[in-house]
Amino acid sequence: MLEGILTGLETAIMPTNLLMVVVGCFVGTFIGMLPGLGPISAIALMIPITYGLEPSTGIILMAGVYYGAIFGGSTSSILINAPGCSGTVVTSFDGYPLAAKGQAGKALAIAAYASFTGGTISAIFLLVAAPMLAEVSLSFQSADYFALMILGLSAVAAFSGKGQVIKAVLMTLFGLMLSTVGTDRATGVERFTFGSIDLLDGISFLLLAMATFALAEALMSVLWGEHREDATGGQDMSKLGSMKLTKEEVKEIAPPIARSSVLGFFVGVLPGAGATIAAFLAYGVDRNLASEKDRQKFGKGSLRGLAAPEAANNAASSGSFVPLLTLGIPGSGTTAIMLGALISYGIQPGPRLFVDHPEVFWSVIISMYIGNVVLLILNLPLIPYISKLLIIPRPILVPMILLFSITGVYLVSFNSVDIVIMAAVCSLAIVLRLLTFPMAPLLLGFILGGMMEDNLRRALLINDDSLSFLWERPITLSIVIITVLVLAAPVFQKTIQRIFKVDDHADLSID
Amino acid sequence: MQLSKERIGALFFLALAILYGYYGSEIQLFPGDELEPMNARTLPYAITILTAGLAIFLLATANPDSEDDAHQVFEWKLVVLLIGLTVLYGLALDWLGFLLATILFLICGFRILGVTRWRVLLQVSVPFVVIFWGGLTQGLDIYLAPGRLFTILFSG
Repeated sequence: MLEGILTGLETAIMPTNLLMVVVGCFVGTFIGMLPGLGPISAIALMIPITYGLEPSTGIILMAGVYYGAIFGGSTSSILINAPGCSGTVVTSFDGYPLAAKGQAGKALAIAAYASFTGGTISAIFLLVAAPMLAEVSLSFQSADYFALMILGLSAVAAFSGKGQVIKAVLMTLFGLMLSTVGTDRATGVERFTFGSIDLLDGISFLLLAMATFALAEALMSVLWGEHREDATGGQDMSKLGSMKLTKEEVKEIAPPIARSSVLGFFVGVLPGAGATIAAFLAYGVDRNLASEKDRQKFGKGSLRGLAAPEAANNAASSGSFVPLLTLGIPGSGTTAIMLGALISYGIQPGPRLFVDHPEVFWSVIISMYIGNVVLLILNLPLIPYISKLLIIPRPILVPMILLFSITGVYLVSFNSVDIVIMAAVCSLAIVLRLLTFPMAPLLLGFILGGMMEDNLRRALLINDDSLSFLWERPITLSIVIITVLVLAAPVFQKTIQRIFKVDDHADLSID
Repeated sequence: MQLSKERIGALFFLALAILYGYYGSEIQLFPGDELEPMNARTLPYAITILTAGLAIFLLATANPDSEDDAHQVFEWKLVVLLIGLTVLYGLALDWLGFLLATILFLICGFRILGVTRWRVLLQVSVPFVVIFWGGLTQGLDIYLAPGRLFTILFSG
């Protein structure tokens, strides 16, 4: 393991990679700050840039953008009560009231320290858990992978929030449908190509990700009329107040941060759970543990109420890398995009990644530490300046985001027809978003569809065309049982919400 | 039956499942493949059945009360214009070339969203696109074709 850590360190501290972490954190912070644009869009916008980079450099850049976007989302939650992504919705519950009291600097500092601690504790866990899980998963067979993919897809649906389970499953199936377009890899048969040569290789992952997220989110902000609003919310970004914390305040927030970091990591590891659920759970747990007097402060500018979800959402972000790096199964929309990018580099995430590309595996983990340090040391003091970018009027910003999304796809394929297809896919995505269908399961279904079919085919071949592989091996059977339990989870959702007193109207959509 | 958001969504997926299933049955198999336990049609059939089943379930259990966004004013016109602009950009790119098509795209995009002063339109779009184009062609060494129109006009 030490050898691996040194390999990762060697790769991560290369000047180019260090620069990518810094650039990623800055760009992510800025995009994450823009209400409506979340980490998925931020990373999707980076994919075309990473195509020209080494795989480890590219994935380090995307990881930096991921943390940056979560941090940026917290910043806009605190400063203007407009969460940049669903994972930072809870941050606004206590962060904005603090800012309203003139303590925006303090709120930002708490968010940064909590994020740093959450990210660091989580990265240490990742350092220990990922190689262990990777070694165990080396013994996995096609049957186990097929079961794992079903688990991943089911979990995404099960954790998708109140009244959204069926819709999330339908969107996953839609993603699976899209994944079957093109030439069948096993038989060479054309499927759903309608005689078009452009569709022989299937639908481009990048096009789908850009059209359903970056492009659709920018246009949704226009649809809601947000482009008319002042992105700064009228707040003077240069006057944020002191960022210093007193000893008492540090003592108050330390236990919730530690608790929420551990909770966040484990929630993040679960496929489909992610930063949003982690933040809501951490907030609920801490409110329950608080004394009656402290509980009254929640929602009115409680330091604990701000620190807990911030630590949890960052820890969950790192935790979500565990299934991606060790099993090749993305646990969220964000890691699904990263999986797509890794595949396009010719790298197959999963247990072999640890063996075949240790420099990618370890450098991503090491870069998480560096990313957290960058966010704390560089981004926090620069927030007053970075947030000035929000002054750029939306009518100028939105067409630029559209342009980056479009050219991102065009500069990879150099096929202008892709832009027309993008517009069509984006229109459909907008309609589905308005009908409250979640988009992340679509990407997950699309990414996992091909792999799921390959593994099922292989498992059937090995097992003499019998489905008995689902219950013959203990590992497969365990995964199948977990899948059933996960699918049954929504039934018990009300009980869980009652225990943790999670806001009934909370949108637990995956990120 | 009142058409709520959920029911409209369910109907969309039901129609999608029917279409997908129909075209799935049109997939050409190699001789003997139909006897295999898993062939190119197996997954599409499974997806069709699951999608249709869930869509019918959603249709039956959907909340009949329309969760309408009556209070919300949607800027449909702007979105349709921007999507139309994207399509036009895609069509114009090969003819006008990256530089000119992109400048026009940004100017039109800014105008659609309410920027009316020509000075602002030009001062933002032209330098931005020129720097972007320079970065792509000079910095990243990406070849961007000048556009068929210019090739026809200037190649004699």
